[in-house]
Amino acid sequence: MTLIFENVGKRFGALTAIDGVSMRFEPGLIYSIIGPNGAGKSTLINMAAGSYSLSSGRIALDGRTISGLPKHAIARAGLARTYQNIRLFDEMTTLENLEVALFAEEFRHIIGELFWPRRSRTLKAARRARCLDVLRRFDLDAFADVPARSLAYGHQKQLEIARALVARPRALLLDEPAAGLNHAETEILRARLEALKRADLVMIVVEHDMNLVMSLSDRIHVMHQGCLLFAGTPSEVQGNRAVQEAYLGTPGEHDVIQAAAEARTRRVRIRAHADIARHRSRPASR
Amino acid sequence: MAALAGRVRATAILIVAAAAIVWGASLLPNYELRVLDSVLLYVLLAMGLNIVVGYCGLLDLGFIAFYAVGAYSYALLASPHTELHWPFGAVLVVAALLGLGAGVLLGIPVLRLRGDYLAIVTLGFGEIIRVVINNADALTNGPKGISRIYRATLFGWTIATPLDFFYLLLGVCAICFMIVWRLERSILGKAWAAVREDQDAARGVGVDTTFVKLCAFGLSAMIGSVAGVIFAAFQRFVSPESFVFQESLLVVLVVVVGGLGNLLGVIVGATVLIVLPELLREYAQYRMLIYGLMLVGIVLVRPRGLVPKRFDPAWLMVRLGWR
Repeated sequence: MTLIFENVGKRFGALTAIDGVSMRFEPGLIYSIIGPNGAGKSTLINMAAGSYSLSSGRIALDGRTISGLPKHAIARAGLARTYQNIRLFDEMTTLENLEVALFAEEFRHIIGELFWPRRSRTLKAARRARCLDVLRRFDLDAFADVPARSLAYGHQKQLEIARALVARPRALLLDEPAAGLNHAETEILRARLEALKRADLVMIVVEHDMNLVMSLSDRIHVMHQGCLLFAGTPSEVQGNRAVQEAYLGTPGEHDVIQAAAEARTRRVRIRAHADIARHRSRPASR
Repeated sequence: MAALAGRVRATAILIVAAAAIVWGASLLPNYELRVLDSVLLYVLLAMGLNIVVGYCGLLDLGFIAFYAVGAYSYALLASPHTELHWPFGAVLVVAALLGLGAGVLLGIPVLRLRGDYLAIVTLGFGEIIRVVINNADALTNGPKGISRIYRATLFGWTIATPLDFFYLLLGVCAICFMIVWRLERSILGKAWAAVREDQDAARGVGVDTTFVKLCAFGLSAMIGSVAGVIFAAFQRFVSPESFVFQESLLVVLVVVVGGLGNLLGVIVGATVLIVLPELLREYAQYRMLIYGLMLVGIVLVRPRGLVPKRFDPAWLMVRLGWR
C-alpha cells in the first residue's frame, strides 16, 4: 500500500511545472508537501487525481499504475482528494454529498433499489448509517439533512474531507485543508487528521500553515521550482539550509535585492533633498 | 401502530382520489377528455425530459426527436403503409428499446459538450430527425405522413375513445411517475444531481459521469418514445409536422414552468401550459407570445418554477399521513 511517483514530469507549453520528481509515500504516516508558490505542489495532486495528464513518468498506487486512467477510475482505485477551493455539491444535503461517493460501490444494486421496496429500504438505511458514521467523526451529523451550501465555511472544509473518506480510500490527498481556517478550527483539523492515521492509509497534505505542517507531519517533502528539493522529518527540514534559501532566496540574490533597495532609498533621498532645496529657494526668488 | 394507521390512511386517500378521477373522467365530454389526454401526454414527455434537464442539468432542445421515434415505430409497425400489424404492447416494448438506443447513440457523441453547446447540438439532432423523416419517402411517406394507423388493443382492451386513452395515459403516467421518483431517490439519482452540481468533483469521488449521463439520456428517450407510441395510436396519423422544434421547446417550458427536477411541478406545468391555450382559444394566434411572456415572468418572479422543490411526492405522502 504505497503511492509512488516515478520520474513524474509536467510541462504546460514551454513552462516546466514539474521536472522529473520521484517520491514514495508509505501508509500509516502523514506526509506534507511544502514549497513556495508555484513550486508545483497542487500540480502534483492534480496529476495523481487525474485532473492533469503526465508529460512523463508514472504514478502507481499499490503497484498498480493509475496515471493515464480516467479520473473516476483513479477514485475507484482508492485515491481520494480535496480541493484548494471548496467543491461541494451545494444544493444537495450534507449526507447526500457523502452518498454520491458511494456510487461506484452501490450502483450494482440499482435494480433491487428501484424495483424491490424491501431491498431498497435496507440499501438506503445502510447507506445512510455508513455516511452518518463518517459525519459523526467530523461533528457534522447534526447538519446531515441541510443543504451543503448553508454550512459555515469551516464545516464545508470538514465536509470535503468527510466526503473524500466515505468510500474508504487507500490514499487521501488534502489540498490546503487549513486555508481560511482560524486558529481554533486549525487545531480541530489537526486532531482530526491525526485521528485518521491508519496503517492502511497514505495521507498527503499540501499546506502553507507551517505550524500545522511541522506539528502534524511525519515526513515533509519540500518542492522548489518543480523539483523535489528535500525530504525528511520536520526537524530535518527546519535545519536544512537549502530549504531556508528556497523560502528566503539565495545569499547571492539576497545581496542583489538589498543593494537595489539601498540604491532606491538613496535616489529617493537625493530627489527629496533637491525638492526641499527648490522649495526653499522659491520664496527667496519672489 | 400510528405509522401503520398513517399509511393505511394515505393509501386510502390515494385510492379514493384515483377512483374519483376514473369515475369523474367518464362523465366528461370528449373535448375536455382530449385536452386531458394532451395534458397527460405532456406530463409523460416532461417526466422524461426532466431526467436530463432537471436532474442532470443538461439542456436538451431536441427531445421531441425521441417522441418521433416512438410515434413512427407504431406507425410503421401497425399500419397499412407497411402492411404490418404488430400488437400495441409489443410496439410499446420495441419503441422503448429503440428510444433507449437512440438516446444512448445520441448521447455518446454529444455528452462531451456542456451547457449552450450541448443545447445547440441536441437542437440540431431534433431537426435532423425531422428532416430525415420528411425526406425518407420510401419508409415514412415523407411530408404526407402515415395515416390509417391501426387501433391499439392491449390485452383484449380496444383503446379507441378519448376516455380509453385517458385511462391508458393515466396508467402509463402513474407507472412512469413511480419509476422516475424511485430513480430520483436512488444512488443513480444522487449521481445525476452531483453531475448537475459539479461534474469534476463528481468524477473525483468515483462517479463515471459519461455513464450516468448516458443513463439519463437513454431513460429519458425511452419515456419520450413510449409517449410517441401512444400519441400515434391516439391520432392514428403521424407526419413530420408534429415533431417541430416548437414541440421540443414546449416540453422544456413544461419542465421549467413546473420547476426543474420536480415531479409534481411537471404535472402543474403541463396542466398550465396545455389548458391555458385551450381556455384562450379565441386568441390562438398569440399562443407563442403568451408562452414567451410566461417564461419571462417565471424566470423573473419564480426562477425555480411554480412548485418549490420541497413540494415533492415525499412531502405529499407525509401530508396524506404517511410516516
